[in-house]
Amino acid sequence: MTSPSGVRGRGLRFRVVATFAIGGLVLSSAFALGTYSFSKRYLVAQRERTAQRQAFLNARALRGSLGGAPRSVPDALAALEVPTGSSVVLHRSGTWYGTSVALGRDDVPAAMRTLVASGTAAHQRISTPNGPALVVGVRLPSLDAEYFEIVVLSELANTLDVIREALLGAAAITTIAAALLGVWAARRVLSPLRDVSTTASAIADGDLSQRLETRGDPDLDPLVESFNRMVEALQHRMERDARFASDVSHELRSPLTTLRASAEVLERRATDVPPDLREPIELIGGEVQRFERLVSELLELARAEAGVDALALEPVNMGELVLHAVGLTRPGDFVVEIDPRLAAAPVLTDKRRVSRVLTNLVENAQQHGSGIRGVAVSRRLDVVRITVDDGGRGVPPDEREQVFERFFRGAAAGRRDGSSGTGLGLALVAEHVRLLRGRVWVEDASPGDGARFVVELPVEDA
Amino acid sequence: MNPVVLVVEDDARIRSAIRMALDGEGYEVIDVGSGEEARREFATRAIDIVLLDLMLPDINGFDVCRALRQESDVPILILSARSDTHDVVAGLEAGADDYVTKPFVAKELAARMRALLRRLTPGEVRGTTYRFGEVEIAPDAGTVLRGDTEVQLTKTEFRLLCELARNTGIVLSREQLLDRVWGYDYLGDGRLVDAHVRRLRTKIERDASDPQMVVTVRGLGYRMNRL
Repeated sequence: MTSPSGVRGRGLRFRVVATFAIGGLVLSSAFALGTYSFSKRYLVAQRERTAQRQAFLNARALRGSLGGAPRSVPDALAALEVPTGSSVVLHRSGTWYGTSVALGRDDVPAAMRTLVASGTAAHQRISTPNGPALVVGVRLPSLDAEYFEIVVLSELANTLDVIREALLGAAAITTIAAALLGVWAARRVLSPLRDVSTTASAIADGDLSQRLETRGDPDLDPLVESFNRMVEALQHRMERDARFASDVSHELRSPLTTLRASAEVLERRATDVPPDLREPIELIGGEVQRFERLVSELLELARAEAGVDALALEPVNMGELVLHAVGLTRPGDFVVEIDPRLAAAPVLTDKRRVSRVLTNLVENAQQHGSGIRGVAVSRRLDVVRITVDDGGRGVPPDEREQVFERFFRGAAAGRRDGSSGTGLGLALVAEHVRLLRGRVWVEDASPGDGARFVVELPVEDA
Repeated sequence: MNPVVLVVEDDARIRSAIRMALDGEGYEVIDVGSGEEARREFATRAIDIVLLDLMLPDINGFDVCRALRQESDVPILILSARSDTHDVVAGLEAGADDYVTKPFVAKELAARMRALLRRLTPGEVRGTTYRFGEVEIAPDAGTVLRGDTEVQLTKTEFRLLCELARNTGIVLSREQLLDRVWGYDYLGDGRLVDAHVRRLRTKIERDASDPQMVVTVRGLGYRMNRL
């Protein structure tokens, strides 16, 4: 069982690296363990064989030296060739003889003494204060004696220690190498996902021409293909919607032109008709105007969304543009602050779009925010920041995104009354700002009440 | 005598809308529904201004525009159902003087037509002529001579040239030119100016791709240079 906060909760990259590292550790440990135990068994067996052979040779030599001319046992024992650290013990006629003080009779296990005395050659591992040792015992019937050799295995133990350390080191290095391999593999495996994520966010930002490239990888290509198909379908759908909106608006333009001209004639002649017809004539005129505006704004929105018109960058004096946009509306009691740098030098931007953004924000302030309180435009590095403050009740935090949606009418916003608003003004602002690669949002105006619409646009010097 | 307007528009409802819009403005309106009729009318009558729809049943509106322009310097106002960059620029390249998008407002249409029919801008001292190398401009006479030959300019091109000439050495922004030549307020379409300057250059400059008289001042506008 894995808890959600465990390995699975850590992300794909971590999991791949951990899997590789653990795999490396288990495999290398198993190999190390196997190698070690095999080496150990082999080396011990070999050492035992050598010790036995040596003991048998020495026993034969002893038989020769003691069996012929009478010679003192200690002399005969001393004459034997014994490896350093090993010692020899001889039991003859109830007397024990030894060559070393450290290892003697007491080191030969009693069971083994009995076994050898009964005539069986034997060997046994014991542990001594000097480390592990091997006792080899042989009965020498002609001398009526038992010969024992105690071979200290400290050299072998040292060798095994070195092997163990080497294997442990190798296992550790293998584990680290596996983890690094895991990092590399994770990056490699994840790189297509990174591409997907980059492309997806580009698409989310509105660039529907983005596609993933196939890599000729049978595991990944189905993903790439279905992703591309999805984007393709999305693009078609959006284009179709945009085209539909555009077609509808175009088709509406001719009748609207006629309606508008007719309404204008009626309005011009309003004094010639009976007084009770004047109100309907006025209503027709106002509604035709509003309908026409709705159509042209829907068309503008459709065109902006479909991205059919490229940005028309030209040198624009932002100060003039702001004053113009504000001046188009009824004069009010508010301050317009213009950054002196912007008043002095033009910047490169799309005049028509920026102007649409400004006039729509100003209109919004008048229709839904009880009028403008202040307009400011400033420049910091390559960003022009425009703020439009109104004196209304502000926009509640949960409506601050929706307010830029078409036909959005918030709870606090004004009702649809005699105003000529179309409900598309802020949606158009958002679209134009998006095309200008800028940002727009609404916050609280600093003196407490009212909304502040902020537009930030990247610009270049003209 | 009232100015004669030739309206070329295939949609009868729009034709009546235009008649209504021009009602009381003092024009004599002749309307036709096709490019062929337009050319016939144009050949037989003295027309002062043309309102031209781009989508016609027989001949493409751009071709009608080019054909009329070859014969005459009559002001041509395009009636466009769209504000496509492509259509507007193509119309201006075909020789149109200005454009109005449908649905238009009667006042707007009348104002555009008035601006195109205006004779010279006021404030001209009688008898003034301007000379730039071999090019001589006589605002009074409405003529431009290059050496001994007269250069054929449309009225709009001529007004543009006079405006620039009167301000020789001074940079005029697109906004200023739109205001003084076309009678637009701040939000006129800068492409009008650009397209007309391009056409003007092909007629008066020795090498239109390397203009010596009407030069572009990057970021600001255009300036007439003394040669």
